[in-house]
Amino acid sequence: MSDIRKWFMKTHDKGNNAASSKPSSDKPQSEKTVAFAVAGGQESSGRRITSKYFNSNKQKGKDEKEKQELPAKRKNAKDSEEIHEDDGDDSVLPTNKKKLADTTPTKKLKSGSGRGIPKKSAVLEESDEDDDKDAVSAAKSAGRGGGGGGRGAPGRSTGGRGRGGGRGGFMNFGERKDPPHKGEKEVPEGAPDCLAGLTFVISGTLDSLEREEAEDLIKRHGGRVTGSVSKKTNYLLCDEDIGGRKSEKAKELGTSFLTEDGLFDMIRASKPAKASSQEDKKLVNKAVAVASQSKVSPKSQVKVPLSSRSPSKQAKPKTATTVQSSSMWTEKYRPKDPKDIIGNQSLVLQLRNWLKAWNEHFLDTGNKKQGKKQNDSGLKKAVLLSGTPGIGKTTSAKLVCQELGFQAIEVNASDSRGKADSKIEKGISGSKTNSVKELVTNEAIGVNMERSKHYKSVLIMDEVDGMSAGDRGGVADLIASIKISKIPIICICNDRYSQKLKSLVNYCLLLSFRKPTKQQMAKRLMDVSKAERLQVNEIALEELAERVNGDMRMALNQLQYMSLSMSVINYDDIRQRFLTNAKDEDISPFTAVDKLFGFNAGKLKMDERINLSMSDPDLVPLIIQENYINYRPSLAGKDDSGIKRMNLIARAAESIADGDIVNVQIRRYRQWQLSQTSSLATSIIPASLLHGQREILEQGERNFNRFGGWLGKNSTMGKNLRLLDDLHVHILASRESSSGRDTIRMEYLTLLLKEMTEPLRTLPKAEAVQQVVELMNTYSISQEDFDTIVELSKFKGHPNPLDGIQPAVKSALTKAYKEQSSSRVVRVADLITLPGVKKVPKKRIAAILEPAGEEVEKGEGDTLDESEEENSSDNEELEGTKGEKLQSELQSYNSKATQIQLELKGTGNSSSKKTSGGRGKGASASGKKVAQAPKTTAKRKW
Amino acid sequence: MLWVDKYRPKTLDQVMVHTDIAHNLKKLVTEQDSPHLLFYGPSGSGKKTLIMALLRQMFGPGAEKVKVENRTWKIDAGSRSLDLELTTLSSANHIEMSPSDAGFQDRYIVQEVIKEMAKNRPIDTKGKKGFKVLVLNDVDKLSREAQHSLRRTMEKYSAYCRLILCCNSSSRVTEAIRSRCLNVRINAPSEEQIVQVLEFIGKKEGLQLPPGFAARIAEKSNRNLRRAILSFETCRVLQYPFTNKQAIPPMDWEEYISEIASDIMKEQSPKRLFQVRGKLYELLINCIPPEIILKRLLYELLRKLDAELKHEVCHWAAYYEYRMRLGQKAIFHIEAFVAKFMSIYKSFLIATFG
Repeated sequence: MSDIRKWFMKTHDKGNNAASSKPSSDKPQSEKTVAFAVAGGQESSGRRITSKYFNSNKQKGKDEKEKQELPAKRKNAKDSEEIHEDDGDDSVLPTNKKKLADTTPTKKLKSGSGRGIPKKSAVLEESDEDDDKDAVSAAKSAGRGGGGGGRGAPGRSTGGRGRGGGRGGFMNFGERKDPPHKGEKEVPEGAPDCLAGLTFVISGTLDSLEREEAEDLIKRHGGRVTGSVSKKTNYLLCDEDIGGRKSEKAKELGTSFLTEDGLFDMIRASKPAKASSQEDKKLVNKAVAVASQSKVSPKSQVKVPLSSRSPSKQAKPKTATTVQSSSMWTEKYRPKDPKDIIGNQSLVLQLRNWLKAWNEHFLDTGNKKQGKKQNDSGLKKAVLLSGTPGIGKTTSAKLVCQELGFQAIEVNASDSRGKADSKIEKGISGSKTNSVKELVTNEAIGVNMERSKHYKSVLIMDEVDGMSAGDRGGVADLIASIKISKIPIICICNDRYSQKLKSLVNYCLLLSFRKPTKQQMAKRLMDVSKAERLQVNEIALEELAERVNGDMRMALNQLQYMSLSMSVINYDDIRQRFLTNAKDEDISPFTAVDKLFGFNAGKLKMDERINLSMSDPDLVPLIIQENYINYRPSLAGKDDSGIKRMNLIARAAESIADGDIVNVQIRRYRQWQLSQTSSLATSIIPASLLHGQREILEQGERNFNRFGGWLGKNSTMGKNLRLLDDLHVHILASRESSSGRDTIRMEYLTLLLKEMTEPLRTLPKAEAVQQVVELMNTYSISQEDFDTIVELSKFKGHPNPLDGIQPAVKSALTKAYKEQSSSRVVRVADLITLPGVKKVPKKRIAAILEPAGEEVEKGEGDTLDESEEENSSDNEELEGTKGEKLQSELQSYNSKATQIQLELKGTGNSSSKKTSGGRGKGASASGKKVAQAPKTTAKRKW
Repeated sequence: MLWVDKYRPKTLDQVMVHTDIAHNLKKLVTEQDSPHLLFYGPSGSGKKTLIMALLRQMFGPGAEKVKVENRTWKIDAGSRSLDLELTTLSSANHIEMSPSDAGFQDRYIVQEVIKEMAKNRPIDTKGKKGFKVLVLNDVDKLSREAQHSLRRTMEKYSAYCRLILCCNSSSRVTEAIRSRCLNVRINAPSEEQIVQVLEFIGKKEGLQLPPGFAARIAEKSNRNLRRAILSFETCRVLQYPFTNKQAIPPMDWEEYISEIASDIMKEQSPKRLFQVRGKLYELLINCIPPEIILKRLLYELLRKLDAELKHEVCHWAAYYEYRMRLGQKAIFHIEAFVAKFMSIYKSFLIATFG
């Protein structure tokens, strides 16, 4: 159980690193969970499984958070004083703002607890920092879990094994019941902010809404949803009191209980004039109209004076309009002062202290006594700022340098930062790296350059974790620069644990920037929205902050983009915005198949299906073909006899076969316009016929889509065909049979196998071995061919062809085969060892000419003489010799053949290997044959 | 040496089964100029034996001195350059090859090898013939493009090169090629002829055949002489002396397909379809051609089936076999046939027995 939780936290960390893809990957992950529900589970249980896990994870995160606060008691005490002071200020404000003021202490509390961590992490060793990172992740996941359980799913898993473990974890958390009256009640549509200022906790199973649906409903109307009951909680939403932990705590703290109907009544009460609710609630225009109507009335009621900036903007409306339309919000609202940076203030302070003290520790060599006293071995000459994108690392570095009067020179990934060019003749103008080196050492590398010296300079090396790709040796050179540097160096990266930065970390003071909380970001985004005259409520901005995963840059870009088309932004708009983004994600073939076959597959549009199947046009059809049988189709409904399901499977199989034919037209005849037809036939039609719940067909199988088995089988088939081809060539070379390859497989193989295995089982060893070796010699069957014959005759569930043969007989067969190889006449082409290429033509021509001339001259030659001459011939002779004299007719044919061969070789038509010539009619004993050394092969076990 | 090769006739005079065809072929090559020949007939009927004997009649015993060559051709086909490799048997007077082994690039091989033979005309010193012979096996497996290119090549180079085509089914050879050849139909031998051959071999090997034993082997062989002789020798290996009721062993892959058919008849469910797929993969991996698998599977299913469903099942088998030839992944089509059969048979069972 704990291992599964660790896996989830690790996967969650991976999700954090990929911040830009994190929001979009939430939806497919949750749908993937749906696809892998256990037998009997439905779509809803998968999601609740996710929620249930994150509830328990939240508990763990909370415990760790409490542990963190213990060492930082001082900080908490200081923060509590600040809170007290704020409470004093609140008494001056009018009564209408009391609710808003209540949320402020909560934010400060969270930021206070955040501040305690960096000081701790700076002191601890690297091994402890790993634990610290886990703790931070737990805190983050706890915060996010409160926002939305379903969306907190971990990032995409990498490997199949990891997927198995993860999904096993999902299944182990048990099931949550369905709402008793799911889908039967009408969901009310109230005023957009009728629940503003209220905090809800959802417990147990509601009457008709899923948990995620209830959360969306509350947030849509301005309410806040947390995961646990606290003093700030206004209502505990549960339909039956099970007496769980939340319920007991609610009673203890005096929190009000609320049923689902009560929630609906609260929402409906905000619109007393409209008795009849609208059926089509998803119309964006109407929602905007209703929102704008309700927005206007609060404005007219409350006449609160605007902040100090507003009068100046009212005085100059044209200037404001011009500025608004021309600049990016990320530049316009960049922090101008270190205090404006959201979160990480203690890290900014630490950076400032380090920079302020840098000169005293590393440059002031005049006063030796003072240097010795203040010098600390823990101080570093460089600092490394690490953290996810968009949280203000570079901005912090620049603002601190600006505040302390340093001149910052920034070098980032667009500059070439390889090793410095050692040739001084090129000077500084030729290389940026040389400029950096000169700057760092305050010494001119170029001969002609004047000595330029900045008294207060800082080098900012941005994106150092991208240095080693095109910048060869860049990190090592950077380390060398740090050692000899006379100015401070600030390095900035995203992933401190990258392999490239392993050595750099030892030379830097490590400051790990953290993502700001959604409340911190929402507050800042609210200021920006007001300045840009957008009407956004706080809950919507918190949702935006959560979706971008702490990336302020992305949040501002998204907000500016949405402001182009709408001036009133609410929760649903942001949610819709990120749903649209999710579609552009790069989907893996398994994800595509899961979606096509999932429960919601029937609701997919046709272009969505085409996009899913085209995500990998080669692998998706193979995975579908492999797995389509496992799905119990929803279309079949109640199908006790199984006829409907078999009919649907038959239709799907036919469509898959159609796709194979279309694919041949595409690949072989290049009919590329048939690509969509191919995806339709191979993926969309089978999936639409058989989408539903997946089940296992064999015991011990895991209920996940298997990889396409056709690829492996096709590869094995190709290998076996090549082996069969080798056997076929050898049998052809023996000239005893001229059958085709298929004939050998289908008809000869059975008898050959029995002829080669049955004597080894029944006859005595010596006799059996002799018989088998004789057969192998007759048909030029080698040891590899023996293995091929045995392998191609194996069928599952049938006995092994070599069963019943004693190992001693097998080794005797191997030995006997090798013994006879020295006297065996070589007939197999690939056993000939060719000499040097240059020698071949001459020897071949000589070998061809010599026997012809010999035979012509002698006529009736003596047998003994021929034998002697053959024995004395060269071992490297490639062409075999004739064993016995031939008749006059044969001589003429042979002579003619020799001449033709000579002509063929002269033209160089064929350069392939040749088999030695065989014996003619009436060949004599093999003793007269010339023996040639065969190629020695490694000993193989039969 | 196996009996099927040991007792193979080497000359046209020794042929036992198709004596009249052998006689006519002998007269054809001795008295007249030989045209292109097309031998067609089922497997195991003696086509290759007749072709080899014919070559010996034309060129003498030198036709048996063949070399096995793994030849490579470099072909410039428009914007591409292909390297094709094929195994050929060649003697001084003839070349034998199976162009369909090259897949869908068979048409380049057909063109190239004939042009090469035409360039290297034999020296007409002592030989009787002024041409060489190209033996093409499995012509019915050639692609349509290859057969079209073969048509032109046959006409253009017929003075130097004569073709002997060999195939199982002449309907898959285009009419244009058939009309340019002398078609020689080699029908399957009758069971009486097979019994004669088996008794001849038994006598040569000194074996005692029980009465009716040879007839049972001939019946099992499905009028395939090669299979009959191979089965005969298999019985000899397994048990001798022969007994009256001795079992004649089937081929291992046929036994496996029969097992698949039994599995299909017993249960029609997704689980069973998944198991059958695994077994079909086993057959394909062991190099059984997919057409043979489908054909044999149909045969086994028909044996267990009622008469009402036979027509429909035969229709679907032909339908999927045709599409299998158009496609590339055979398992998709065989599995589709099995799924369709399961669907039909299950509906039939439930409609019949409730």
